[in-house]
Amino acid sequence: MTRWYEDVPVGETFTLGTHEFTAPEIVRFATRYDPQYFHLDPEAARHSHFGGLVASGWHTVSIGHRYMVDTLAAEEERLRGLGQEPGISGPSPGVNKMEFKAPVRPGDSVTYTLNVTGKRVSNSIPGWGLLFNDLEAVNQRGELVYRAELVGFSKLRDYKMPLRLRLMLALTRLPILGNVLAKRTG
Amino acid sequence: MNPITANRRHFEDLRVGEIIELGDMVVTREMIFEFAREFDPFPFHLDEDAAKASLLGGLAASGFQTAALTLRMLGDSFLNHVASMGGLGFADLKWPRPVMVGDTISATATLVGLRVSRSHPERGIVTTDLAVRNQKAEPVMTMRLTSIVEVRHPGPVSDGAAA
Repeated sequence: MTRWYEDVPVGETFTLGTHEFTAPEIVRFATRYDPQYFHLDPEAARHSHFGGLVASGWHTVSIGHRYMVDTLAAEEERLRGLGQEPGISGPSPGVNKMEFKAPVRPGDSVTYTLNVTGKRVSNSIPGWGLLFNDLEAVNQRGELVYRAELVGFSKLRDYKMPLRLRLMLALTRLPILGNVLAKRTG
Repeated sequence: MNPITANRRHFEDLRVGEIIELGDMVVTREMIFEFAREFDPFPFHLDEDAAKASLLGGLAASGFQTAALTLRMLGDSFLNHVASMGGLGFADLKWPRPVMVGDTISATATLVGLRVSRSHPERGIVTTDLAVRNQKAEPVMTMRLTSIVEVRHPGPVSDGAAA
């Protein structure tokens, strides 16, 4: 998936990996980022409607992101192994939707898959395209625990920068003029 | 009665339009590297040279980290003071500009929707808009959280209700 924008097939599904959530890991994440009692304290969590410790939704999200980044890195390795130049994945402009469908409990094994549902060339950033991805996370019983509609940037291989833009870019690289231009456009 | 949440604010105590200031936080190089190593090991979050060459133009926090830090501020200022029952999801998450190393982020939560679940009358569904800014007051993240807060005095289940 660290492929050029042109090489990313719409409709293709990638298995990102399976993660086992342990109690210490759930508590460690919650301590730093989401210190609510049902993410933090197994005893106190028994009083909640969950009936026990559950992972923070953002923990499930963050682990899924980690597996996606690892999958991109592995794909980059694979392409280099074939003697091909891999594409470039950029940062994400946002996420349309993230839904927590069922709690993730200690000992659960969660499998993440990514399906590319659409793509288009970016209007705002020349040379880049946008990928629309559906992420699904399913536990060991086959229950959907989390799904998301993600958006990511991917670089175009066949992009020719217009002369005007190339000239602007060259000018911004001159030290003094570059600073002036950066101040005016920034 | 849940002894953990008995003395906290419940669904009935919340009002649409309530604004909660979540405070601020400096995002350091160490914080960026720590989060990126574990959850977002793209080179542009782990390496200053790779960051300069990327769309971000310099070392920046993972957007997932900005959200995690915002969630932390929301927990400290709001969720741990109400009878929270967890999150249902997030929507319209936008990162209009990156959080660069050394930036101070501050966040505001606004309660924009309150309704009782029809199938679970003991659950109040709260919609919260989160807005995060940097020290120049530029927006760096917005997102909408849907979460559940205990209803203190639940009514009967509505007929034919799904959610």
